[in-house]
Amino acid sequence: MTSKDNEIMICRCEDVTKADILQCIADGYHTLDEIKRVTRAGMGPCQGRTCRQLIAAELAKHYGVSMEDVLMTTFRPPVKPISLGALADAYETRKDWSLE
Amino acid sequence: MKTVEILVIGGGPAGLCAALSASALGAKVLIAERDEMPGGQLVKQTHKFFGSEKQHAGERGIHIGQMLLENAQAEPNIELWTSSCVLSIYEDGVVTIEHAGQHVKVKPERIIIATGAAEKFLGFPGNDLPGIYGAGAVQTLMNVDGVKPAQRVLMVGAGNIGLIVSYQLKQAGVEVEAVIEGSSKIGGYLVHASKIQRAGIPVLIKHTILEAYGDGQVEGAVIAQIDECWQPIAGTERKIACDTICLAVGLSPLTELAWQAGCEVAFIRELSGHVPIVNECLESTVPGIYCAGDVSGIEEASAAMVEGRLAGLCAAVSLSYGGAAAQTLIDDAKQELDELRAGSMGIHIREGLEKMALKSGQPKSEDDTLKSKSFAEIKSTLISDGIATADDIAAILPTPERFAKGPIAIAECFQEIPCNPCVKACKAGAITMPGDINDVPVVNGALCNGCGLCISLCPGLAIVVVDQTYSEDMAIVRLPYEYVPLPVVGTLATGLDREGNALGQFEVKKVTSGGKKNMTYTISLVVPKALAMDVRGVSVV
Amino acid sequence: MRIEAHPVLNFERGEKITFFYNDKEVEAYPTETIAAALHAAGVRKLGESPELHRPRGLFCAIGNCSSCFMIVDGEPNMRVCVMKVRPGIRVEEQKGKGVIRT
Repeated sequence: MTSKDNEIMICRCEDVTKADILQCIADGYHTLDEIKRVTRAGMGPCQGRTCRQLIAAELAKHYGVSMEDVLMTTFRPPVKPISLGALADAYETRKDWSLE
Repeated sequence: MKTVEILVIGGGPAGLCAALSASALGAKVLIAERDEMPGGQLVKQTHKFFGSEKQHAGERGIHIGQMLLENAQAEPNIELWTSSCVLSIYEDGVVTIEHAGQHVKVKPERIIIATGAAEKFLGFPGNDLPGIYGAGAVQTLMNVDGVKPAQRVLMVGAGNIGLIVSYQLKQAGVEVEAVIEGSSKIGGYLVHASKIQRAGIPVLIKHTILEAYGDGQVEGAVIAQIDECWQPIAGTERKIACDTICLAVGLSPLTELAWQAGCEVAFIRELSGHVPIVNECLESTVPGIYCAGDVSGIEEASAAMVEGRLAGLCAAVSLSYGGAAAQTLIDDAKQELDELRAGSMGIHIREGLEKMALKSGQPKSEDDTLKSKSFAEIKSTLISDGIATADDIAAILPTPERFAKGPIAIAECFQEIPCNPCVKACKAGAITMPGDINDVPVVNGALCNGCGLCISLCPGLAIVVVDQTYSEDMAIVRLPYEYVPLPVVGTLATGLDREGNALGQFEVKKVTSGGKKNMTYTISLVVPKALAMDVRGVSVV
Repeated sequence: MRIEAHPVLNFERGEKITFFYNDKEVEAYPTETIAAALHAAGVRKLGESPELHRPRGLFCAIGNCSSCFMIVDGEPNMRVCVMKVRPGIRVEEQKGKGVIRT
């Protein structure tokens, strides 16, 4: 770790720096999922689009494996934030769509 | 719940082409596009596309996008939803979409995922300062919104996006301090690099960004040279004052929906990241779900359009549309893709697709001709800076006898890229490519009459016409020009060499428009004979 | 600043409108996104990051990254890079994750 690692932003949505990621790896976390749960990196509104590959690269580097062997996180709906209002509306107006 | 035969997710080049080919066979298609304006990233591509006529080569991306959109709007079998973001694909095949502010469910019989890609981010201190943008973001600001995105820019990455956006910044009146690239070679097309070098933008290979600095927003960057192990070399650090840093360090396929749907996804470096495994028909491991365009591997938009067309055809055929004729269309599309990928720049794509074919359990029948094809390796420093050397030029220089006969086209196009509008442009049949569209053009001096039609039709702006017979000591050089303001006939303009250095003030003899859609001007400059092979750019600023 | 002359593009912007940024009136054109209109007015900082309160601007400008979240007419987490500007809207810097209106 270098002194400037805390100025390198990895996850913009959740403010997780490279120093945070390297600390996680030093603490023994070794999958994207673990790091995600501990730091919230990848759990923000962009759902990891910006940070996922950067974290995977750090893991690959630390454990000396190829990117191919870094386990990805689980992808769950929805891909972008949607307001609770829109979800509630869908329930109210579902009659607009022909129900099978 | 709304039902539909084919749902196309994404209205970019791949999605629109998928919808058009499927609907042409009779299938009913719904396109869900998240933006207000369909066209994907074509809406900001002001440059001319490469490839062949079949992929609209020579036309500007924005015009191709408009045409595809108009065709889709005119097609009764296509329903186009804009501002409609697909949120999820569930195991039972139900797709949810945020449409007109509502959460709606759609049950398609087939799905074509054409979600494209996102720009990669890069880790360096200060990397989240306002003013650090994806290169594509800057392109959107200037080419879609018409906003001058910066005063002075540092571009990180010399792939096609970094090179093209640098050129477009210059066209919008923005200074680009430098394009830096970590690798020892330029990753994008060399003609793009040559174009920006002529505009005075240096391309620095083996350089990296060490940090960005600024109080609240970008005020500059520290860059440094790197060694063979990509480590910064102490003592080479220098500051570049700039208000914007553009990251053009690659794209990541937007695969979330493919993962959600249960498609098998694998990391294939050559295709730029995690990609859904697809077969020859672009069908994923989940039957009925197809993937086309950047989502299944980052390539040029011309390839994305053909992939879209192929996926659309295959999806429609699987629904029993099209009959026997459809197979010919499918074969044509596959052949076009092979052709686009057959050049020296397609090597990594072919390697990536080979890996994918192995994973899909359908190893591709090896095309021996392609496998054994050797590419003319660019040995000069052209590969690292985009500036043709004296040796490169000597190899294509017409003979003194030919020069004595009158004007002749000189194609400074040294790299085997898929592109052939110059061949089509030449009415005299003087420009040929011995093999396929990936070959470099050869100008036949006996047939070329120096008409100059090719100048404004070359997407790489790599062709000039030189007339050494203009007068006793002066020659005419005819050059492509895509900046404002236009040079004025009868006045003087600055002639630039291949590195953007001013060679003198020369008389503007003629200014010819390339036409309403082409928009590339041809400028005739009167230069001393000795400089006729050196003047390659014009500036009136 | 806006691009006035361009070799390839002709910007048809329509009638000038105004909106509010942190209570200041800003001029814009209806063809622009909120982020673009602010950029043209010289505003590049759109908010502050949720934990470390670092200044944030846009990053992708096409609705991928969520770096441009702002509060629009009281509603937080609006992706202003893909949201067209409308007359009279009130746009504010977002500091943090936004709160539910009560």
